[in-house]
Amino acid sequence: MLMRRSALRMLLVLCAGGLAAVVIAACGGGGGGGGGGNAKTSAPSGAQKGGTLTVLANADVDYIDCGAAYYQFSYQIEYAYCRPLYSYKPQDKGVPSPDVASGPAQISQDGKTVTVHMKSGIKFGPPVNREVTSKDVKYAIERGFNKNVANGYAGAYFGDVQGAAEAAKKADGEPISGIVTPDDHTIVFKLTESTGTVVAGALGLPLSTPVPEEYAKKFDQQNPSDYGNHIVATGPYMIQNDSSGKLTGYEPMKNITLVRNPNWDPKTDYRPAYLDKIIVKEGVDPDVGSRQIVDGQNLVNGDFTPPPAILKQVATSKKDQLLLIDSGGGRFMSFNFKVPPFNDINVRKAVIAGMDRNALRLTRGGEVIGPIMQHQLPPGFPGFEEAGGQNPPPGADWLQNPNGSKTVSAKYFKAAGMSSGKYEGNDKILVVGDDSGVGGRAAEVAASQLQDMGFKLNFRQVPHSTMYTKFCNVPKANVAFCPNTGWFKDFIDPQTLLDPLFNGKNILQENNSNWPQMNDPTVNKLLDQAKLTVNRDERAKLFAQADQKITMLAPNVPWVWDKQPNIASKNVAAVGNSFNATIDLNFTSIKQQ
Amino acid sequence: MGRYIVRRLLWVVVLVFAVVTITFLIFSVLPSGADPARLRAGRSPNPRLVEEIRHRYKLDQPVTAQYGLYISNLVTKLDFGHSFQNDTDVLDEIFKRLPATISLALGACVVWLFVGISVGIISAVRRRSILDRTAMGLSLVAISAPVFWLGLVALYLFADDIGKIPILPGAGSYTPLTDDPIKWFTGLILPWLVLAAAFAAIYARLVRGNLIETMSEDYIRTARAKGLSERKVILRHGLRSAITPVVSALGLDLGLLLAGNAILTETVFNIPGIGRMSYNAIVNSDLPTIEGVVLFGALFIVVLNLIVDIAYAFIDPRVRYS
Repeated sequence: MLMRRSALRMLLVLCAGGLAAVVIAACGGGGGGGGGGNAKTSAPSGAQKGGTLTVLANADVDYIDCGAAYYQFSYQIEYAYCRPLYSYKPQDKGVPSPDVASGPAQISQDGKTVTVHMKSGIKFGPPVNREVTSKDVKYAIERGFNKNVANGYAGAYFGDVQGAAEAAKKADGEPISGIVTPDDHTIVFKLTESTGTVVAGALGLPLSTPVPEEYAKKFDQQNPSDYGNHIVATGPYMIQNDSSGKLTGYEPMKNITLVRNPNWDPKTDYRPAYLDKIIVKEGVDPDVGSRQIVDGQNLVNGDFTPPPAILKQVATSKKDQLLLIDSGGGRFMSFNFKVPPFNDINVRKAVIAGMDRNALRLTRGGEVIGPIMQHQLPPGFPGFEEAGGQNPPPGADWLQNPNGSKTVSAKYFKAAGMSSGKYEGNDKILVVGDDSGVGGRAAEVAASQLQDMGFKLNFRQVPHSTMYTKFCNVPKANVAFCPNTGWFKDFIDPQTLLDPLFNGKNILQENNSNWPQMNDPTVNKLLDQAKLTVNRDERAKLFAQADQKITMLAPNVPWVWDKQPNIASKNVAAVGNSFNATIDLNFTSIKQQ
Repeated sequence: MGRYIVRRLLWVVVLVFAVVTITFLIFSVLPSGADPARLRAGRSPNPRLVEEIRHRYKLDQPVTAQYGLYISNLVTKLDFGHSFQNDTDVLDEIFKRLPATISLALGACVVWLFVGISVGIISAVRRRSILDRTAMGLSLVAISAPVFWLGLVALYLFADDIGKIPILPGAGSYTPLTDDPIKWFTGLILPWLVLAAAFAAIYARLVRGNLIETMSEDYIRTARAKGLSERKVILRHGLRSAITPVVSALGLDLGLLLAGNAILTETVFNIPGIGRMSYNAIVNSDLPTIEGVVLFGALFIVVLNLIVDIAYAFIDPRVRYS
């Protein structure tokens, strides 16, 4: 799960390094309930306006420009100053709420046209100060294809818009013929395939935040685009800037200061925006920062995960300071079908059956961080229940015992021709995992268990990013087993989880995320069919079928559908957002003293 | 003396050239996990874009051509490279962060010199006393304690937000000197103490050893025979001689710290200095920044050593002729 197509993927990068964001489900409270993992998903009644909240973070946003950002922590901050066509209220599950849009996206029967009507009265912040129109959304998406902006998901989700393929080739941000603006408050996407559902889903990502062409174009012509340093707000907050629009409230790797956007009209927005000011302090050590949050005032976590000791303390004695939110993804250990002995399905099943997945989960904190993963689609996703819910698909006995079963493991080793019930090969297999943090521990536990099963390993531990860029994402590296892989949603649609990982079309020579290099015609067909299905129920059923087929091919050792723990100071009424699995700054407030 | 300085300067040029070359080779030729073009291309790069960037930044040229360009930019434009991660010039970023690192390093240096020399003298003079044994024992502890551990312990004990005895500003309290001198001072007390601890211990042992040796020299006996007070004998005659290795060590240590080697202290206390910048660069595989920081650090160390060498030559004329 690294750099392709998952906004939340970087989260895993950080988690693996022991740095990422965290926490627990401080159930109930003000609650609208429903938020994944028991997080509070609505502000308490009588929440007060005003105050300053400080978000402590270890590192910086990936891009301050909403059109380039592709990272969970960036989204957490940027949804406070960027309003896409659609966005997720804290309690939204599945379908996002209209934001700049005035109602749901209309998808034509054939799935080839998506029409969105927009609200009037939404204005850009200073220095642009004019009303937002559909042309601003059109420009925003077109610039995503500009090489100077290089949005990470524009091609993946808007690639079927007519003219987008050419735009991607030229990469100069020129107009895309398939994005049409019949009037100032309507935008239409004309598609070459019946992928309207995915395009509509992707309109909930920050790329659809309006961008004023007359102001931004000169910045977009620079390489890289300098628009981020002059970004214009549409949300309730803006980054402090001077009269020319140049940001004064952003120092990379140091801090971001958000103040109220004077042009924001609450009547056009569902966000309550209680806080007067939000300061993001970067460079904070996760251990120190977590303690500061727990013991301090007006603080919440940004990109880091509280260390296990603090998590345990908060989960037991300070539950109201903890929010656990379903991440919308999972962690699994990937086999490579192209490298023996994992080209043999029975060996793969034997390994899965023999793995103590509970032990693996303990490396990240145990049961509190989420249920054992049993198939590919996580809880809360369309198709999850149909694919088996909390259970493995029928017949998958190798997934039945999360503590590992030597008997079942031996059965499959024998089926693979190994009469001892253990692996009998003599060649060393290449296993590449993380070298530090909780990821490193998980890799070590996995390696130890593989050795217990009889495997001889060439076990390499490298930094998390190197594990992906030099090894697991590169088929020619011939890594047999990658213990630190995982994947999180871009938005709540099964396609964003299954297609990049298991469709044979997505086997790439570099930056590959189909780690097993699975190219099963039945699975490919199901995925392609599901992608083009507009009806949501039908779509969910097809993806559930694909999930089951995939899981029966034993492509990975699934071990946790994890929850993101987030923490807040005692005087902060923190609200978690189910979409982003982080604290929602637009709904969070300072408690009355 | 002039010839000596010229000779040393020529060595500096040779050394810097060697450092530049080795740095370039390490980061540009040896295999690493990061591809600058890919970093620059963003999170979901298509191969075409990566190639275009590689071409634009001349990363597709032969290593020798890249090396020539690198040297030429370095010499003619003082160009330390460009961070593909943050899209900033590395040297600009280094200069932005230098004041914080200087504040940390110089302040800690004052602390460790004061503590180290004082303790060293007392231990040498009161050799084998309880005071000496206690001081040397504690110095071993200070040397052995990892700075990140010491930093965390100091924060959990004394930081005003999370400490058990909340008396000093904790992590994230660094304020630039020009913004508020008082906050600057108070915000750096804990980092100074933590960073200085190990150095103070090493210097104390160094001073003690040298002073004990010096105090047994004939000229010290002569000084005493002349009727000088013990205080004058120690401070004017003994310490003056015993301190020269400390000067030498100081040049190197201070150079290392100013070059960003206070990574752990800056990280634990969230001080936005060069060490913190190095940490971020390492985490993000931002090779141009790592390369720039290494080069800058090497230059700093070489220059400080030059100063130390020249100071040595002034202190001890034998050095010039050796």
